[in-house]
Amino acid sequence: MSKVVEISPTTRHEGHSKLVLKVNDAGIIETGNWCSITPVRGVEKLAIGKTPEQVPKIASRVCGICPIAHCLAATEAMEASIKVEIPKDAKLLRYILQLANRCHSIALHDILILPDLYLPGTDVKINPFSPEEPVRSVAKRIQRLREISQTIGQIAGGEAIHPSNPRVGGMYVNCSEQAKTKMYDLAKEGVVLAHQQMDFMIAVLRNYQKRDWVDVGGMKVALPKDLGYHDQGYLATHPFYGSSSLDECPSWSLDRFKEVRPWDWYMGEMEISLEEPKYPVGGTTKLGTKVNPQMEACTGIPMYDGQPVEVGPRARLVKYKNFDEKGTIGQNVAREMEYTDSFYEMIDCIDALNPSGKVVADYIPKGDGSLGWAANEAPRGTDVHLAKVKDWKVQYFSMLVPTTWNFATCSAALTGAPWQLAEVIMRGYDPCVSCATHMIVVDEDNKVVAQKLIQQ
Amino acid sequence: MLYPEIVVAGCGNPLFADDGFGPAVIEEMQKLTLPDNVKVVDAGLGGPHFIFTLLDPEVTKKLVIVDIADYGAEPGSITKLRIEDLPPGSYRDAHSWDLTEPLQRIKDRIDITVIGCQPKRVTDPEMEIGLSDEVSKAIPKTVRIVLETIGVDYGTAI
Repeated sequence: MSKVVEISPTTRHEGHSKLVLKVNDAGIIETGNWCSITPVRGVEKLAIGKTPEQVPKIASRVCGICPIAHCLAATEAMEASIKVEIPKDAKLLRYILQLANRCHSIALHDILILPDLYLPGTDVKINPFSPEEPVRSVAKRIQRLREISQTIGQIAGGEAIHPSNPRVGGMYVNCSEQAKTKMYDLAKEGVVLAHQQMDFMIAVLRNYQKRDWVDVGGMKVALPKDLGYHDQGYLATHPFYGSSSLDECPSWSLDRFKEVRPWDWYMGEMEISLEEPKYPVGGTTKLGTKVNPQMEACTGIPMYDGQPVEVGPRARLVKYKNFDEKGTIGQNVAREMEYTDSFYEMIDCIDALNPSGKVVADYIPKGDGSLGWAANEAPRGTDVHLAKVKDWKVQYFSMLVPTTWNFATCSAALTGAPWQLAEVIMRGYDPCVSCATHMIVVDEDNKVVAQKLIQQ
Repeated sequence: MLYPEIVVAGCGNPLFADDGFGPAVIEEMQKLTLPDNVKVVDAGLGGPHFIFTLLDPEVTKKLVIVDIADYGAEPGSITKLRIEDLPPGSYRDAHSWDLTEPLQRIKDRIDITVIGCQPKRVTDPEMEIGLSDEVSKAIPKTVRIVLETIGVDYGTAI
């Protein structure tokens, strides 16, 4: 007899989401639904009638964690619509900003997943804020990596949190020769730390993988070897940056994309029949509570080639670097492997940057209303923004953010795992939920016809 | 150093009407020439992730947070708050890192002042751009209070 258990809200990630799990007598998940419960916001509506310069600034405000990805994707969606090519040095500055943002994000994610993991050779879980060694030096290294990434991002992007330097047609300013040297020095320091941090995290993850059981709120839970496996596909558009409709060979296609309604996908109304007060933090939802993921989910289900797909670090590594490890551990390992890649790439970009090169296109058209899109490989995966600009006014704007892709994929990956580990699987996706709540409706001919807010 | 001795952070989201007060004050302050040991930063929603968890108490001695605060006053009124005055959950890190609040973690080593403005209208979860008149008019006064708090005599006439 299946039972229903709900973990709400989920913790150690951005935004609000919950897990509704139908489990068998042994506590193994038969069907898992991971859904966003953040209310719908109206960024798409707000953008209409604004100038193409304003919309990226608005887009960068929808989330406290990913302003850089949204700013870049929105700026490039505008550029794709008005069809402007930006100068090489502007592109390099954006690359540097993007990579710095990614390095900061990986460092944050390390802090978020460490409390799930064990100190190798012990049954002690890691508290990243512990003042004791070896954790203390790891925490210090993470902080230094964040500081380095933020400083580089600030130099290339103008400001570290909400970048002020990107603009439609390029960047407002290039950096000075001294600033270039500074970024270079910081990246050189960062690459050494990133190697150490990657080695540490992979060692700890492999140690976790070898365990037979893990402790969750005092419950001893058997750890399956196929934790988080799924057979969905992967979607990535670039090893580190992105693609747009201006590219000669775009690596994303609107024709292959389709979004369906959550009520075709999630479970219907149920009653909670399993409650576990020991589950950290504060226990699971009370017995007898009614849940209805179909109606509560705030996102549509995006599909690529007719399937929900995984986006993010592993998708990039699978697509561009022949990475083939499945499951939650593979996903976390892939994220760590992007650490050093990002710093090496950053060093190459800084090397290639000419501080006296021009960074704004000579001619910036006003736009004729054609649909342009830009995909940005944000830390959490492919972030696609679509735009139509006519006479320097935005007529249409939409954001298809990374975690939206991952909701359905991760839901599939939950099957077969003990329910107590559902959050561990979810955290592997480094979810950022607050912006993943909107919907584009695509009609039978796969044309974007309208945007529709889901309202219950 | 990313964050110097004195940090002024404007928090809030301009997409929710008066919640954009913090970033608006920062925009004004960025027009001023301030000493090298001061950094004013538009924190947006990222205060906990990008600033409060990244401050080094060896370097940063003073943190001023500019934000809206609902304390039942007339819209546009300004108040100075200490961390102890804040209700639990303010500036809770969305990541819920071991469930403590990042400001609590640093408050004994960094002098923290919160300058709060009573909002008139916060539209969350609906998006709307633009401060109400009352809150907008509070900006010059807030800039003056921030300057006073960080001990910068700018000699302005406002």
